[in-house]
Amino acid sequence: MRVHLPVLDHGVMDPAPAPYVIRIHGHLGATVLSAFPALASRRHGAHTVLTGWLDRSALYGVLAEIEALGLDLLEVRQLTPDAVTTEKEA
Amino acid sequence: MTIISAPAGSGKTSLLRAWADRPGQPHPIAVVPVQRDQHDAQQFWLVLLNAVRQASAPASRAEPPAATPGFNGRAMVDRVLSELADVRDGITLVVDDLHELASPEALAQLTRLLVNLPPNVHAVLATRRDLQLRLPQLRLAGELGEIRAADLRFSERETRELLHASGIALSEAGVTLLHLRTEGWAAGLRLAALSLAGHPDPERFVAEFSGSDRTVAEYLIAEMLERQPPGVQDLLLRTSLLDRVNGELADLLTGRPGSERILLALEDANAFVVSLDPGRAWFRYHHLFADLLRLELRQTLPEEVPALHRRAAGWFTQHGQVADAIRHTQAAGDWPDAARLLADHSFSLTLDGQAQTVEALLRAFPRGAPADNPELALVRAGRNLARGRLEEAAAHLAVAETHAEMTPPDRQRRCRVGIASLKLALATRRGNLAGVIEQAELLASPVTGQSGQDIALDSDLRALALMHLGIAEAWALGLPDAERHLQEGAALAREIGRPYVEVACLAQLGFASKIRPFAIARRRCQEAIALADRYGWGTEWMIAPALVTLAANMTWTGEFGEGERWLQRTERALQTDTGPGITLLLHMASGMLQAGRGRHREALEAFSAAEHLGSQLEGSHALASQVTGWMLATQARAGRPGEARASLAALDDERVGSGEVGNARAVISLTEGDPAAALAAVQDVLDGTAPVIGSVTVVEAHLLAGLAHRDLGDQRAANQAAERAFALAEADRLVLPFAMTGSAELLEALPRHETAHAALVADILDVLYGSSLTAKDQSASPQADELSPSELRVLRYLPTNLSRPEIASELSVSVNTVATQLHSIYVKLQVRDRSSAVHRARELRLLSAGRMR
Repeated sequence: MRVHLPVLDHGVMDPAPAPYVIRIHGHLGATVLSAFPALASRRHGAHTVLTGWLDRSALYGVLAEIEALGLDLLEVRQLTPDAVTTEKEA
Repeated sequence: MTIISAPAGSGKTSLLRAWADRPGQPHPIAVVPVQRDQHDAQQFWLVLLNAVRQASAPASRAEPPAATPGFNGRAMVDRVLSELADVRDGITLVVDDLHELASPEALAQLTRLLVNLPPNVHAVLATRRDLQLRLPQLRLAGELGEIRAADLRFSERETRELLHASGIALSEAGVTLLHLRTEGWAAGLRLAALSLAGHPDPERFVAEFSGSDRTVAEYLIAEMLERQPPGVQDLLLRTSLLDRVNGELADLLTGRPGSERILLALEDANAFVVSLDPGRAWFRYHHLFADLLRLELRQTLPEEVPALHRRAAGWFTQHGQVADAIRHTQAAGDWPDAARLLADHSFSLTLDGQAQTVEALLRAFPRGAPADNPELALVRAGRNLARGRLEEAAAHLAVAETHAEMTPPDRQRRCRVGIASLKLALATRRGNLAGVIEQAELLASPVTGQSGQDIALDSDLRALALMHLGIAEAWALGLPDAERHLQEGAALAREIGRPYVEVACLAQLGFASKIRPFAIARRRCQEAIALADRYGWGTEWMIAPALVTLAANMTWTGEFGEGERWLQRTERALQTDTGPGITLLLHMASGMLQAGRGRHREALEAFSAAEHLGSQLEGSHALASQVTGWMLATQARAGRPGEARASLAALDDERVGSGEVGNARAVISLTEGDPAAALAAVQDVLDGTAPVIGSVTVVEAHLLAGLAHRDLGDQRAANQAAERAFALAEADRLVLPFAMTGSAELLEALPRHETAHAALVADILDVLYGSSLTAKDQSASPQADELSPSELRVLRYLPTNLSRPEIASELSVSVNTVATQLHSIYVKLQVRDRSSAVHRARELRLLSAGRMR
């Protein structure tokens, strides 16, 4: 599992909401997806990719939920603004 | 120590249970499951302590550890450590779901426990994520065992064994597929086994499962649920929103009977339902299982969820489990109802030791809405006060008062009583007791509640209010009402079963018994302490008033050794910050003890500390003049009369006019060699015109007058004064005033057969000399060589704390001269040091002859 935490140019973490991509192994059904109302989901091969804007607390909340549900976390990545559009198109 | 760190569903708890149930376990095992989202350190520790006790002495019928409003984490850890060390052979301590411990305090305390674990204890911790426990030294020493996810994963062989043990027949290929798909994840395998058991076509099941990309847990739980009869599905879904469930509660939520049978069957089938007690009345679901069920419930029956929470809240309220009731009311979104419940029960929750639960519940309220809610503001004020955040407490109290009329009419009275009670507690803490009388009226009026529950809530509140009132009165002016209110509070508390309030009232009653004979005050203190000990509250801060009062009481009667022991116990009890008031008492009692033993420098330190604390209180307190008086007197006795004069000049009128300060002036005058002035200083006390705190001041005054008369050469008047002092001191058998004023010589000069108080005199002299008089008379004391007059002069300064240079200066001779004379004194008295010289000189009556100029 790779985690890329958000870092701006001047090396300070920004607490304001930022776009995140979270990759989980396996397909999440409607029930489990309902635990992440703030995130959009799509399937990507054998994975599920969750995307959305999260501030720091919300991010850790999502991670805690993933832990609680025993999901297999693969990647957490913050996107730069132009990368957001690229992700959407992928 | 062993740590098991692995994600949800890895099989940690199952591993622990299987290991604990193994026959032939050499040591008892104490299992501590951490409750979901546990914010309350005290609750965690009570469960742990209880588990340790149950494991080490299962047949013991001792009372379970009692919770207290003021939790002393340090003392708790010490208690657990000592109980662990007492277990003869060894004990294993298991803490499961440690990641649920949401209280940083508790985690820090636990770390301290683990670092100091006795050698006979093996600790096992199970958690979902690695915790910062700061145990590097254990790891380095190789004393830390770790079991991680990889260790817990089922191998293919183990998978085969599991299936075989569950009576499931699956082909080799099927087993391989299953193992591959679940990756050996324990929860996955168990769920699969549940569905495979009795399945008509296990191979197909596994094939379909394998072919699906769904996450393992979701797929298998859905499968497992589907195979349950509708009644069971319904039960599982509806009860998933509970942290724990029993048959009755489940029946209530499903609207159907028979839930208990289903729960028992589920547990027997190993279906993630686990009983919490040996009687199998209460159950909980595996956390992962419950979380998924809860999500499923919100998907399938969304409109029912608030109603389910409300029904659960109602059941918990009826069964007195208020914290759970409030949580469910909050979950239902009924914020005003939740606020009302919390406001009603915050006192009783706090008294039950769930203060941090109250705080967690407070935090769950949405921002904004409760800002004006007076009842919630009152709860916040109470919590802030308990944590010593006085400014915040005052602010919230102000909000509560401003908006008090907003509460519904039937709740007005309770709200106002709560506000008044808290105001008193805050004022006492700050030492500002001016407005005490006003609050008294409101609080002392009787209870007029309607329903049984109303009366119960009101009684809780009233007992607390009486306690706060009594304490404030005792501190402010020593009002006689203090005793009455505290006794009433204790009686009410006993009646309603609130031992904590009862002990607190009795503890303060000891302190408030100033106007009583000493014997009564002592008895009251001892009763309070005995009661506190019974509940295991012997070192809690709330028993400190009784401890320190008892210490002072023993010191008054000359039992210095006992007094010291009680002082030490008081110090231990005051390790949490409780405000300046009680610490002031501690310093005062300490000063009394040191002064009684003639250690003037230490006594001065203590009295000065007490004086300093007294100045931090916002108003004057009942013992202020006593503290000041003794501090000034001790300054003089320690050889600094000039300083004492200066401090005297700086006093305000009220204190200057008090009897205690009058006595201090006499001491200063005596030290300066002006006995006439000393006599004048105590005149007001002797003729009763000066206000005094108690008769002990008058005893002191008589003794000081006696010393003055002796210095003036009037031995008869001196004897008379001493007799009067005895007359007053006899009833309580007071010794301390004699010790503090250095009146040994006065007593010695008394013709023994002329005093009516021979026994008391003998006792006092015993204490002052630290040895028995009769024993001394019988021993043959060799005659010392006669001391020269100049040596006698030096001798007389020995009982004071003056140094050689100071004595030399007093006698207008050189330091060398004094040194030579001292040497000669020691030789002639056959002693080696100053205090032995004093002792010997007294035995030989050398110090009672003549007078000191």
